[in-house]
Amino acid sequence: MITGSLKPFDEILSSIERYRNILILSCGSCVTVCLSGGDREARALARDLSAEINDRGSGHSIHVGTIQRQCEIDLLKAFVDIPGETDALLSLACGAGVQSLAEAFCHLPVIPALNTTFLGALDEQGVWREKCQGCGNCILAYTGGICPIARCAKRLLNGPCGGSSKGKCEIGGEVDCAWQLIIDRLKAMDRLDEFETIFPPRDWSTDGTSGPRSMRRTANTP
Amino acid sequence: MSFFHVNERCNGCLSCVQNCPASALDYSDQENRRKLLHNMSLCARCGNCWRVCPQGAVEFKDLLKGEWDEVATMNLVRCTACGASLYSQELKESLAKKLDYQVETLCPEHRKTNELSVWRRLSPAKAVKGSSDYDYGKPETF
Repeated sequence: MITGSLKPFDEILSSIERYRNILILSCGSCVTVCLSGGDREARALARDLSAEINDRGSGHSIHVGTIQRQCEIDLLKAFVDIPGETDALLSLACGAGVQSLAEAFCHLPVIPALNTTFLGALDEQGVWREKCQGCGNCILAYTGGICPIARCAKRLLNGPCGGSSKGKCEIGGEVDCAWQLIIDRLKAMDRLDEFETIFPPRDWSTDGTSGPRSMRRTANTP
Repeated sequence: MSFFHVNERCNGCLSCVQNCPASALDYSDQENRRKLLHNMSLCARCGNCWRVCPQGAVEFKDLLKGEWDEVATMNLVRCTACGASLYSQELKESLAKKLDYQVETLCPEHRKTNELSVWRRLSPAKAVKGSSDYDYGKPETF
């Protein structure tokens, strides 16, 4: 899922200073599940901002709303009720949601309250780790189901680099060496011979470095 | 319970069924009746049904703001002093079992005003004179 983390409170506060009637809009999908941009976070942010603003006596009003997915412009246009006096939208969605919101309500300034962080997975309760960088050319079939692009600090296709120690990456902390994980997994599957296969230099044009990517799909017939 | 609703404009064309990416919509033709079926547990609430319906029959707003379902009912324990709701009888009993004594049925406010009895339980050595016969396992009544 897409994960995010709330921007520093002072940054949010300064970004809304010039507006008086603000609608905080949370997103009911990824950022709700990763406890950063859902209905609860929106209400907590509204409470904290209101308390701070009221202390200053600057007379703001803050409303809170939630939409199931902020990244779908037609849902936004059809189902988001924006109070008439609103002069800014504070979005708790990922960057995709913020931009959809801006496109749907082009007459209103849209301010992000979240930093979109990564495509991750829930490893344990309350802990998400980056697992995918959306490089557009998946090699998980050859790396024991562990992505060296997302999980190796050097994005090595032929690792390990030699800097890891006791299965941990040399960048420090508790970061696992992705290539150690790959070797362990291949070994457990009795497929360690695949480790000997050398990845040739790859085409990185699918990685987003060739401009914004898009896709067009229709539903499959079962 | 499904929150997928269609209005009277639905003509059974099945475009929603054919375009549901989560296979949450289906239909059943029996005798002279066509039934549209929806499975809430499969539904991704993606809105594709709402987008493709040529009749504008899918009430997608009902999938965004549904009603609350009652999923369990149990007995409620209230503060013996003021009647404020505290927790379920079942929770009280499981706590009492784990802690090996009956939890006082008092709200935080009235618990504060009964600090003495709580203190006796937590620190028997410092209990006030005359409290040595205090029965730690005995439920308190107020």
